[in-house]
Amino acid sequence: MRSQADITRGMPVTIEVDGQMIDSFSGETLLAALVAAGHMRLRNDQEGQPRGFWCNMGTCSECFVSRLDVTPVRRIRACLITVEDGMRIATRSISYD
Amino acid sequence: MLVEQASTGSGASGQNAGSLHFQIERRFLERKGGLGLEGEQTATLSRIAIDDWSTLEDRLGVSLHVHMNGGLMVAENADQVAILKAKADRERAMGLSVETIDGAEARRRAPYLSEGIVAANFMAAEGHADTRKIAPAFATAATAAGAEIQIRTRLTKLEWQGASFRAEIIGSEGAFTVGAKKVLVAAGVWSARIAAMANLHLPLFPVGLTMSASERTPHFLPHLVQHVAQRLSMKQTEAGNILIGGGWPSRLHRVDGIFDLSRPAELIIQSLRNNLSVATKTVPRVADLNLIRTWTGVTAVTPDQLPIAGEFPTMPGLFCAAGGSAFTLGPTFARLVADQMLERERDEADRLLAVASPARFDSLNGFMGR
Repeated sequence: MRSQADITRGMPVTIEVDGQMIDSFSGETLLAALVAAGHMRLRNDQEGQPRGFWCNMGTCSECFVSRLDVTPVRRIRACLITVEDGMRIATRSISYD
Repeated sequence: MLVEQASTGSGASGQNAGSLHFQIERRFLERKGGLGLEGEQTATLSRIAIDDWSTLEDRLGVSLHVHMNGGLMVAENADQVAILKAKADRERAMGLSVETIDGAEARRRAPYLSEGIVAANFMAAEGHADTRKIAPAFATAATAAGAEIQIRTRLTKLEWQGASFRAEIIGSEGAFTVGAKKVLVAAGVWSARIAAMANLHLPLFPVGLTMSASERTPHFLPHLVQHVAQRLSMKQTEAGNILIGGGWPSRLHRVDGIFDLSRPAELIIQSLRNNLSVATKTVPRVADLNLIRTWTGVTAVTPDQLPIAGEFPTMPGLFCAAGGSAFTLGPTFARLVADQMLERERDEADRLLAVASPARFDSLNGFMGR
């Protein structure tokens, strides 16, 4: 899914998403890392149907995920922040809270 | 026939934050010495509106996310508590069921309230509804009852012709003309311009307001929350978002000294800051939520802040329904003005709507009309 030609990547970074380890690169947005790893479903709507990111620019609020490695746990827009090594993320694709 | 320039609910009916507020409004308390006398006059309408909202979903046969779990108007100091008590006395005298409770009791009923809240007026009938659903639901019901609804269709001319009105209209398939014995102007902030088409002054002044929504969060806020001395309304939607408003201004665009109603009002960032500050001071846990949306809406107020609904004395056959509180009071205006137009228990409808009658501004139309 990632472009390969003429790309200089940052350092490799590993993050945890819904309990699975995902490889990414420094400088990528969290959303880019999620999409590259196939995490298109970020939550379920009230009928249980999948919902995913749409605008990729901080407006639609569909890419909210929880950041578990900070206290208190923060809800963040995945498209607005870059990955950090050791980040722990939970989507709401597993159960609607 | 309904002629709507955009789509049903695209104006203030769909832009407001959906409060069903039946206590005397805080804005009526702002003026020095004014203990909400104007608000007191709308108490009769509020009593009827409680019944209208309680039965609206059944009558329209659709879920409108109407929640009437009670509303709290909170106070933070002794002066504010005194206003709450005086206000509750007046409301009870007008037949509204309102009780003043202390801070501990308020937090027992509403554990999310800040420790800084020392008292609240509680009214069990208050609540909220989904503004995105109401106008379309009315439109669907009206269509089923035989009404013709023309959206994206604009009225360009309205004239009394001796026996009936003649309206010129432009729709997607071109211009056409309609005759009508009676016409209702219920166009929110645009109502004054439509009245002007009929050569009448309708004193309605546009005001821009500010509303915000948080991300969804598990339900914890079943009530409508307002503040007696600060601009605040808060409620939680069916989907879980916290809606925050309460009358913080946004800025209308102006062109050549005329308010441009074709553009959304511009956000005033200090309004948003102040609104969120009052909200987090009243319900601290909302500070942990992300703000996902802030929008502006434009409503209209009259010189005396009371709504305006009924028949123009200068031009019998022409009716209006607009002015503030028109989400909470809208279904009631709709029913009573329909009674007036159809001469159905007309005297009773006239009596109930007397406080909102356009007759009080009739002096403006001494040189106007036909």
